[in-house]
Amino acid sequence: MVETAYTVTSDSETTGEDKSSTFPEIAIGIDIGTSQCSVAVWNGSQVELLKNTRNQKIMKSYVSFKDNIPSSGVSSQLSHEDEMLSGAAIFNMKRLIGRVDTDPVVHACKNLPFLVQTLDIGVRPVIAPLVNNMWRSTTPEEVLAIFLVELRSMAEAQLKRRVTNVVLTVPVSFSRFQLTRIERACAMAGLHVLRLMPEPTAVALLYGQHQQQASHENMGSGIEKIALIFNMGAGYCDVAVTATAGGVSQIKALAGSTVGGEDLLQNMMRHLLPDSENLCKNHGVKEIKQMGLLRVATQDAIHRLSSESSTQVDVDLGDDLKICKVVDREEFEEVNRKVFEKCESLIIRCLQDAKLEVEDVNDVIIVGGCSYIPKVENLVTNIFKGKELYKGMNPLEAAVCGAAVEGAVASGINDPFGNLDLLTIQATPHAIGIRADRNNFVHVIPRDTTMPARKELVLTTVHDNQTEALILVYEGDGEKAEENQLLGYFKIMGIPAVPKGVPEINVCMDIDAANVLRVLAIVLMPGSREPAIPAMEVRMPTVDDGYGWCAESLNRTYGASLDLLTLQKV
Amino acid sequence: MSIVVSASSLLLWSNTFHVHGHLNFNNPMSRWRQQNLAIIRCCSRGTWETPTAQNNYYDLLGVSVDSNAHEIKEAYRKLQKKYHPDIFGPKGHEYTLMLNKAYEVLMTEDLRRKYDASIGQTRLRFGENNTPLGYSTWKGPLRPQALFVDENACIGCRECVHHASHTFTMDESHGCARVKVQYGDNDQSIEVSVESCPVNCIHWVETEELAVLEFLIQPQPKDEYGVFGGGWERTANVFTAAKSFNKQLKRKAATRSNQYPGSTVQESPAQAEARVRADMKIKMESFLKIWNWMKETLGMNIN
Repeated sequence: MVETAYTVTSDSETTGEDKSSTFPEIAIGIDIGTSQCSVAVWNGSQVELLKNTRNQKIMKSYVSFKDNIPSSGVSSQLSHEDEMLSGAAIFNMKRLIGRVDTDPVVHACKNLPFLVQTLDIGVRPVIAPLVNNMWRSTTPEEVLAIFLVELRSMAEAQLKRRVTNVVLTVPVSFSRFQLTRIERACAMAGLHVLRLMPEPTAVALLYGQHQQQASHENMGSGIEKIALIFNMGAGYCDVAVTATAGGVSQIKALAGSTVGGEDLLQNMMRHLLPDSENLCKNHGVKEIKQMGLLRVATQDAIHRLSSESSTQVDVDLGDDLKICKVVDREEFEEVNRKVFEKCESLIIRCLQDAKLEVEDVNDVIIVGGCSYIPKVENLVTNIFKGKELYKGMNPLEAAVCGAAVEGAVASGINDPFGNLDLLTIQATPHAIGIRADRNNFVHVIPRDTTMPARKELVLTTVHDNQTEALILVYEGDGEKAEENQLLGYFKIMGIPAVPKGVPEINVCMDIDAANVLRVLAIVLMPGSREPAIPAMEVRMPTVDDGYGWCAESLNRTYGASLDLLTLQKV
Repeated sequence: MSIVVSASSLLLWSNTFHVHGHLNFNNPMSRWRQQNLAIIRCCSRGTWETPTAQNNYYDLLGVSVDSNAHEIKEAYRKLQKKYHPDIFGPKGHEYTLMLNKAYEVLMTEDLRRKYDASIGQTRLRFGENNTPLGYSTWKGPLRPQALFVDENACIGCRECVHHASHTFTMDESHGCARVKVQYGDNDQSIEVSVESCPVNCIHWVETEELAVLEFLIQPQPKDEYGVFGGGWERTANVFTAAKSFNKQLKRKAATRSNQYPGSTVQESPAQAEARVRADMKIKMESFLKIWNWMKETLGMNIN
């Protein structure tokens, strides 16, 4: 069934333009979470969440390969928990997609009840479910594509039309390379990505719509309102500060990290069974089952701790391995202290980046699955000195509703009541720059720059008669080049042979509103305004799955021989 | 220097990359995401002109040179809503880049001052951050209401400074309090300090009115009449003065727009030269006057 449904149309995003109908297709909004997922669409007057055949609005994000027939949490009748025990289910795709095997997040995924194999050299990890006692390799993109195909057919059945255009939400901390992997998965599923929105900015858009509607009702003038959005799901934690007035949401600052409910869960599992790490090392069928049982029991316990102050964990893992323990909330909070500290630091950094004090924030919004955890609510309200949290957003549905609103806005839908008279002015979540001045990461476009953006940097050669220069483009917040994500590389060749410091190499970066990054390089000789050699334009990212390996290899092969130095602007 | 470099290279970019996308505006579905086809477009062609040559940032945003942060923000948002590529399609890319640049410069005090100097503009520093004595600054975002001390009524009791020391300050030379930082303290202590004023001279005013009020409350030099010396004088009722001031401003703006319909009258090179020369002459005259006066009063030992 799935074999036919999942057609690989194209790798580029040029699909979906061959519509004969003049009526615009309203793009649907999809929120693929690490553990849960939902789909919503603008139905002409408001956002409506789509339900699967089992009448669920929120579905588990997993794909099971049992009996060779992939089926996902969208349609599957079996419960997630049972699938997990057999080793045939792949989940947490969002934590694995676009990462190399040296990434600590990938290493953390080795505790999951399916195969994650790493060689630790900076290439793609091997991921495989256990099918009929055989590890059959797959990729996160493929798993995501299968999942998206099912979501798509579910939406098509309900909307009674073809669905091609989508708006997806993504974590703030995703690199541009990871975004291309999401696009690839969508292309495999025959979906055309209109926009990939950082999750909290989708919530910001929804907040902007709320403000717009409120100001229509009481005829208030468009007073600027500042909101901080804290979104913590199973895989990622994101923060955004937005300034909203007159339907325009300006993203002031973004911060994100790979901490989430998954970390809380793993820390708790380690707390309950200190040896749990080694349990999964051999990936035997029995161990997978044990791991699955422990996972389910721990997850249930954490859920119960949101409403109760202490709870009993009682699970029989077989082999005389029984866990019977009472855990209380303090214990849970202590075990996860580092995770919660990270959340706090993200909020504080985001406020600092936006150059705001806690008193300046009008509304504090917390969303995501982890917002039900009392400690998460406490830490946010503590930072904001006991300020009451914004009400009127469903924590689990806010992001997908925002994506659906963006889908309608981006499809050119007009609403007679002005409910779609909205705009989000996005900002760059990470700095983008190049390697220069030896091994430093020199920013060309800093973090939180308003998009679209275009910035340039002037550099020069470091050696006499240097005729070539290597441009290595990185993205991230680290100081040294290698601490950041490599996006791509190209060489400037044919620089006139002159003493060092003479040629002026101009590197320009351009990000358009659809978040496409282009890097341009041009060589100028003093006294001339015409480029000495043809300029180069490269669309980034150009790296592939083995980017970790690639960066190291580039370093080893070229070292400092093709280096550049930034020119101090006078 | 850096401005020159970037401007020239921007032009260079534009001249080098003339790759046009085929834009299909009949298809509303693909309003954007056509960037695959449209590469960096030349900004000096088509509807958008290069920002450096013809338009300055103030013209681009459609605000006056003395506009405050609030006005700039509002203008920026309005234009974004019209021309952001999400709404206007890929054609809006270059224009939005200019808007973002203009907004960044005008909203950052340092950059704005430098920019003003580069285009030869001076402005009254209304509601700016590093203001000269007499104007309050803002902590955090602009709010619709602002604090204002009617210094005519103030008796200099220091109660407000005592309760909210980050917001109010004592102007020792005039012996009265005034607002140093809007919302410099938390709302509660501000509330208390407003309540504590025995003569109720702390007022909540509309933010738009604040600049005018703060300007008018400052003592102005008084004209001299015959033997009576000048000195300093303060408007008796600042609120009525503000009203009439605003009225005057409106009237002036109206007459100005009547005089120059469209306000885009360009002067010819000859006119410009004549104007510059006349300006020089006036300046020279006043300089000579001072020179002569100095010669007379300080005796002949200058020459």
